Amino acid sequence: MAADRNAAELERFFAERADHLLRTAVLLTGSREAGEDLLQTALERLLRRWRRFDGDPESYLRRTLCNLAIDGYRRAGRWRQREGLLRAGARLTQDAIGEVDLRDAVVRLMLQLPARQRAVLVLRYWDQLTDAETAAVLGCPEGTVKSAGSRGLTRLRELADGWNETTAMCGRNGKRP
Amino acid sequence: MNSDIEDLLREGMERFTGDVRAPAGMLRRASRRRHRQLALRSVAGVTAALAVGAVALVTVVLPGAGDSGVALAVVKRVDRALGAAEPGDIAQMTVTIRSAASPGGKTVTTTAEDWSYGERWRSVTYSTDGHPAYDEGVSATSVYTLVSYPAQVWTRHSGLGRPLGLESPNRKLGVEPFRHPVVGAGGVAPKASAGPVDIPRGCEPVGAALLLLFQPGLPGIGFSASSPPATAPRALRTAVSCGVLTVAGRQRVDGVQAIELTSRRSDLISETIWVSPGTYLPLRVVVGSVPGEQAFRLTADITWLAVNPRDLAKLAVPIPAGFRRVTLPEALGLTLLQKSPGQKPKTICIVSGGSGRQCVSSKPDGS
Repeated sequence: MAADRNAAELERFFAERADHLLRTAVLLTGSREAGEDLLQTALERLLRRWRRFDGDPESYLRRTLCNLAIDGYRRAGRWRQREGLLRAGARLTQDAIGEVDLRDAVVRLMLQLPARQRAVLVLRYWDQLTDAETAAVLGCPEGTVKSAGSRGLTRLRELADGWNETTAMCGRNGKRP
Repeated sequence: MNSDIEDLLREGMERFTGDVRAPAGMLRRASRRRHRQLALRSVAGVTAALAVGAVALVTVVLPGAGDSGVALAVVKRVDRALGAAEPGDIAQMTVTIRSAASPGGKTVTTTAEDWSYGERWRSVTYSTDGHPAYDEGVSATSVYTLVSYPAQVWTRHSGLGRPLGLESPNRKLGVEPFRHPVVGAGGVAPKASAGPVDIPRGCEPVGAALLLLFQPGLPGIGFSASSPPATAPRALRTAVSCGVLTVAGRQRVDGVQAIELTSRRSDLISETIWVSPGTYLPLRVVVGSVPGEQAFRLTADITWLAVNPRDLAKLAVPIPAGFRRVTLPEALGLTLLQKSPGQKPKTICIVSGGSGRQCVSSKPDGS
């Protein structure tokens, strides 16, 4: 049995990594509110076993965040995801430069991808994990991670291509000249 | 193009979450929510225990009070009254629990008798037909004794210190590990029971008095193990100062015009404590569910006995003739099997204030 871990150790860890973990949660859920809820739930699960926890808390939290998101975390609260998408959309129209708009649009589309594809992209491109590490977090074969990531990127590429065509036709701001 | 889209995605994620910062106190909030869940699960543990014939035991509860000067005056008087009483009179309680086995299910009523004197305590729980089901207690030398009448076995174990609860790593026990700070001798929370984040004791809004004063019992039966009368007021001081309990008025209890203390309406568990106006010793405690939660109601009527040989003898756990002596893990395993058939734990860990945690694996035959 692992030695008991104390509260101070958890507090130190969380003080260091809370922002990054919350950003991961926001990317998985699509909104800040839902992200905070998700992270809080994951934290509760970590707290439940903290005293005897023997491992890397960040890995555990990351895995829990993904599992919760994929399992349809708080299905009844999906309006929050939509709210997040609407906010992303609102921000999109406020940007003056097309290049920035495209980045937002890519993320916005990513948030509309199936949960597993989204989790793969977040782990690969936000948390900078390898395919093997991503597979370990999600508890699935590496091949599944590769195919899910590939499908997700294909969708995003389609958006980017369409976006480029639109901006070429309508001008950089996405408005008709 | 792939690398372009990957770069766009990375930059987009960075930008999308650029202003996201974790709010202060997130860990503490998560911890509080966790403790609320534990509180409710403990209550659920009681109701589950009742459903299969086991009984939750309840012990000494002492008064808190409301806010402002009245509350402070109450606490001071409680402290003085109980401090003066230490080692104190023997608290004798009759506990009645009414609980629905499931939402909308049949209501089950069970009773228990409990005695508490200093660090010594004894609890006898009765089955629905009125026969003893479990008899357990801790002696003056910290020896824990448990008699299981359904299994006709008994066990005795020393060196555990005050048992606070059970854990099972495979998490199939009917009662969750109970890690809420529990007041031990001198009002100090034993380390073994402390939660991962130090929550101000008594300020927890959900079932504060319940959690602080009704310590969990060993066999996962529910609430058990008495709080020494002199220590509870110290724990309640925080609860009162936080406004967890308020003075609701006066009410006649057993011929005494008692002071009524109640929990907040927003809490998930309703608590009412009637205390004697003269000594502020508790006369009756009622803990119940609030609308929307699984229904249960626990009533503890308390009598304060003088310390004399006859009443002190009530603290001893008698061993019935013909009962078989078994090891503590075996007794606990049998108790859990009585309580939750089919939930045979592979390993049982006994959490205590004295020696932390002791884990023992069950034998393959289920003992």
